[in-house]
Amino acid sequence: MSEVERRALLKGAALGALAFTIDGGSAFLSPRQARAQGALFRTLTAAQADTLETVGETLVPGAREAGISHFVDQQISAPAEEALLEARILNVRPPYANFYRAALAGIDNASRAHNADRSFTQLTDLERIGLIDAMRQNKLTGWQGPASPFVYLILRSDAVDVVYGTMEGYAQLGIPYMPHIAPEKRW
Amino acid sequence: MANEKVDAVIVGAGASGSVFAAELSKAGKKVVLLEAGPDWQLKDLISSDLWGRRIKPAGIPFLLEGKNPYGYAYQAGWGVGGAALHYFANFPRYLPNDFKVKSEHNRGLDWPIDYADLAPYYDKVAAELGVSGDAQAEEIWRPKGAPYPMPPMKTFRNGDVWVKGLQSVGIRVVPAAVGMNSVEFKGRPACIYDGWCHVGCPIGALANPVVTYLGDARKNGAEVRPHSTVTRVLTSRDGSKAVGVEYYDSKKEKQVQEASVVVLAAWAAQNPRLLMLSATDKHPKGLANSSGLLGKYMMAHFASGTWALFDQDIEPHMGTVGAQYMSYDRYQKTSKKGAFGSTYIVAGTAFKTSDLGGFANARLDLFGPKLAEFMQRAKTGITRLTAFGEEMPNIENRIELVDAKDEFGMPMAKIVHSFDEDAVALWNANFEEGLAIAKATGAKEFWSARGNQPTIHLFGGTVMGTGAGNSIANNYGQTHEIANLWIAGPSLFPTEGASNPTYTIFSVSLRGAEHLVSDWGSIAG
Repeated sequence: MSEVERRALLKGAALGALAFTIDGGSAFLSPRQARAQGALFRTLTAAQADTLETVGETLVPGAREAGISHFVDQQISAPAEEALLEARILNVRPPYANFYRAALAGIDNASRAHNADRSFTQLTDLERIGLIDAMRQNKLTGWQGPASPFVYLILRSDAVDVVYGTMEGYAQLGIPYMPHIAPEKRW
Repeated sequence: MANEKVDAVIVGAGASGSVFAAELSKAGKKVVLLEAGPDWQLKDLISSDLWGRRIKPAGIPFLLEGKNPYGYAYQAGWGVGGAALHYFANFPRYLPNDFKVKSEHNRGLDWPIDYADLAPYYDKVAAELGVSGDAQAEEIWRPKGAPYPMPPMKTFRNGDVWVKGLQSVGIRVVPAAVGMNSVEFKGRPACIYDGWCHVGCPIGALANPVVTYLGDARKNGAEVRPHSTVTRVLTSRDGSKAVGVEYYDSKKEKQVQEASVVVLAAWAAQNPRLLMLSATDKHPKGLANSSGLLGKYMMAHFASGTWALFDQDIEPHMGTVGAQYMSYDRYQKTSKKGAFGSTYIVAGTAFKTSDLGGFANARLDLFGPKLAEFMQRAKTGITRLTAFGEEMPNIENRIELVDAKDEFGMPMAKIVHSFDEDAVALWNANFEEGLAIAKATGAKEFWSARGNQPTIHLFGGTVMGTGAGNSIANNYGQTHEIANLWIAGPSLFPTEGASNPTYTIFSVSLRGAEHLVSDWGSIAG
């Protein structure tokens, strides 16, 4: 990360918004806005981002549009000490990108192994639910990567964060947020 | 680079380091605190579970091993205030039976002090930083002491619904003692019960070190150097005294800070690691380690949580993250048949949606539309009862250096931790009783918060005792072998009780700091 990018990130932290790259420049947006505006991914490949969105949507309806992939990508592209990821408080050792790459590869490999070489994004909704449920219970034979129940916990937490953990999420759920110091952009 | 010698250098600006800094600076000593993390300000404490994670560590120089690896990150600190910048501020005391477990049960270890030695410091700390509660009501379980300076906090329906259930199994409850302001206290405002305590209270209603002891220390002239990572304690050639510390500053440049007294207040895992990293030919096993017990007897609390879901609106979003009700009625070490150790029970807490403690995690098995449906029901009806359990000190639970190096080229360490059969039995017994209590509340649904047995808080590693043969430090935190090398914080605790520890950390630290000041002439190097 360049010094300019780092300064931008820290400015975002001060505001409570996240820095994304759009049209060659930096913009402070919520992950939902970043997705809607087509912000570039910095660390995830397009395929990884697609898998993460699909997993996230399976875990928590609304996670795709809430920008789970943009959130995670922005976070794993930043220095670990700036991270807002639940992985941080679940003792994942930085750099967090390593965990996500391994987790997403584990899911896709498991999907292909158990579903006639189809990726997770190619599965039906029912098949996705079945695979996630098996992952949760550590019942996927041949699983490779971080322990599958832990992957479930982390990715579920990310999806919960973007859907329910924001001011916008509280408003949609219908409970008072009551901040002392509110995050910028209801995020 | 060498800096001008100071009277005291304190490693860590959390709860215990802040107490030492306040007392020493009040006595006119020149004090420097070296803090590995940032110098957080109250304005940094954004009310958000996501943004609140910034005040917790992101990777530490420890590997985690054992049957129950120690999960540090949710509860550890990073930056000024340490873990107490985001703690829940539950302020139960340890009870008299915590201090003599070896004598009374031939288990664990004895403290070299008893409750009566510490009781005046509980009262002093309450008066200095502010505690809300009903001390007289607590005296059904403990000796009399001073009243708390503030009345109890408000309770809410999410706490009140547990009272009948607890009483049904013979458990008495009293208002929880908390380090929060039920009314304005010393210029700090009263709590507004918005439930954001766990990401840091920016209004100062919660007694974190930044607005209490560390603030006092700064007013007295103590200097805080953030982003300063200590790598070793430096000792004299003959090994008889500490002369200062080596550290890396915010520019990653090596510095030396000489001092007449060194206080290690760097966290229960880091204190022993630093003493190990400071080994010399005069102290080949690490400083203050002639007993061979350095890094031994690491302990963690565990919790048996019981969730209950009500049809009616019990306002789960209201309150603090601290408890509303507390009970010591299961605090006797043999309260639970077939198990050993104390249990401390709390009920009523505010809930947010996400993060480890959020109610989305109340049913970790749910995902997809079922989770969405659960969130709709839980937002008005969810609550939890928590029973904290005590683990006995076990010499196999330990800190050890490993070959891997940290970013400064210093050996990392591993925390090896496994719960023994008693701890597992107590955990299970508390789940059983939790379900019985929940059933009696009339909740529509209730269930145990089972998963991996959690590790909460961290203790031991530099335990206090009666001599160099059985411990690292004396009852004030002064190491037995190097008079001007002191230790502060829960690494000193020979047993952990079941109470949340920070009130006792403050009190033990205040007792030690006062002694250091009063005996300064014979201690300082």
